Amino acid sequence: MKNIITIVFRLTVSCLLAASVMGLCFIFTSNAKKHNEHVQEQKVIYELLGYKGGAKIPDSMALHEVYRYVITGGDKQSIGYLVPQGHSKEQGFLFVNIDLAGVLLASKAVTLSEAEALDPKVRGKAIEQAAGPGYSVKFADQTIIVTKDGKRIAYLLGGKFQGFKTFVNVMLAVDPKFTILGLEVLEHEEDPGLGAEIDQDYFKNQFKGKPFEALKAIDVVKAPLPADYLEALNGKVGEEDIAKFREQYKDKAVYALTGATISSKAVAEGVKGIVTKFAYRLNVLDKILKEQQLAVSF
Amino acid sequence: MANDKSSMQLITRGILSENPIFKLALSMCPAVGISTTVMNGFMLGVAVLFVQVFSSVTISIFKNVIHPRIRIPTYTLTIATWVTVIDLVLAAYLPEAYAKMGIFVKLIVAFAIITMRLEMFACKEPVKDSFWDGMGMGLGFMIGMMVIGFVRELLGSGAILGYDVLGFKPLLFFILPSAGFFVVGLMMAFFNWIEVYYKRTKGLK
Repeated sequence: MKNIITIVFRLTVSCLLAASVMGLCFIFTSNAKKHNEHVQEQKVIYELLGYKGGAKIPDSMALHEVYRYVITGGDKQSIGYLVPQGHSKEQGFLFVNIDLAGVLLASKAVTLSEAEALDPKVRGKAIEQAAGPGYSVKFADQTIIVTKDGKRIAYLLGGKFQGFKTFVNVMLAVDPKFTILGLEVLEHEEDPGLGAEIDQDYFKNQFKGKPFEALKAIDVVKAPLPADYLEALNGKVGEEDIAKFREQYKDKAVYALTGATISSKAVAEGVKGIVTKFAYRLNVLDKILKEQQLAVSF
Repeated sequence: MANDKSSMQLITRGILSENPIFKLALSMCPAVGISTTVMNGFMLGVAVLFVQVFSSVTISIFKNVIHPRIRIPTYTLTIATWVTVIDLVLAAYLPEAYAKMGIFVKLIVAFAIITMRLEMFACKEPVKDSFWDGMGMGLGFMIGMMVIGFVRELLGSGAILGYDVLGFKPLLFFILPSAGFFVVGLMMAFFNWIEVYYKRTKGLK
């Protein structure tokens, strides 16, 4: 009995010690970690838009974050968008509630600064208030609309889909006609040397320049990549040649990775799903914003 | 229990005569899964080195207060704590390296070699010796991983450190996890053969 008590006591003490070491470490590093994640995200965003390695970003370019929430009340579901009205502090956001048939249910101004909107908890509370009592809200995704001199130049879409092993988290840039401008794999756990090659340039860049029509019917072929195309994908030839190859292959199927057909297919299907769904949703949202003459920042 | 080996002997023992991969055959599963390239082997090796040294020193410091009945849970807890600390610190201050090493660092909790070194050495020996033993075992593991990675990368993808040296891919099979066992087995045989040969020429046994 005495033994058991000492063992329990010592185990508890060592667990507490370990927990406090880990806890302290977490407290000291969490800020730096968050900062890193934010910097990384910004870097990916600008790289997708073509500003690589610290190229100057024009002042006329602006990013507008649009958050999408699924709102459930009783047995009814609708989609709530949080769209920015402007970039000064007073303007805040606009909450637009649209039902599944694409009819506007409600629109309401939400006072929330952009910095506050970055915090998912604060944002969730604001949405809950705007949706009214009796409705539960769930965050779905966020999209960034990029404008230059007031004109839309690109959309940045985040998305997750099933890969070969676990989820693949990607970010996509598409132009206003939904042609793909770039693909970045943010997170994945595919096999090293096989499926993990999805984050290599020679695979990702195959999606670059694919028009919306070609993307809808995208397919994956099991064939070796032609050597000259591979060089172009890895950026080893001049800009003009790369553009030429992109033009030549833009309607063709994507070449699967050797030994990782399932991962390749998953990415192709996932990208297709993200873009086609976004195109549909944006259409609905734009129609409503136009019909109701709602002022937004993009 | 005093140790009669010098720090240098402790290090060379970890690398040569008691190499964790080729001699002790420990931590094979994670090692075989990861060692597809030289770089991967190096990354995992560095991470193991840190965890091994820190855990060995911690256990060596606390060896007198650890109850013998609960030593294994205590070892696991120590390793897990250090892995978490290293994971957090890397993620916060070296994001570039973390992007490459992150998945490997978390794997280390399951490494048999670390627990085994704590049980065999650190819980009996003084802090200084435990430090050098951890160092030697970590380096031995790192070198072993890099050698396996070298063979697998060269034969599997025709490259070394990501640079294409052969210009073609001889056998994709070597990249697959199962091939890791073949490579490890053949290398074990090779190193044993060298050892036997060396001893014979020296006239030992």
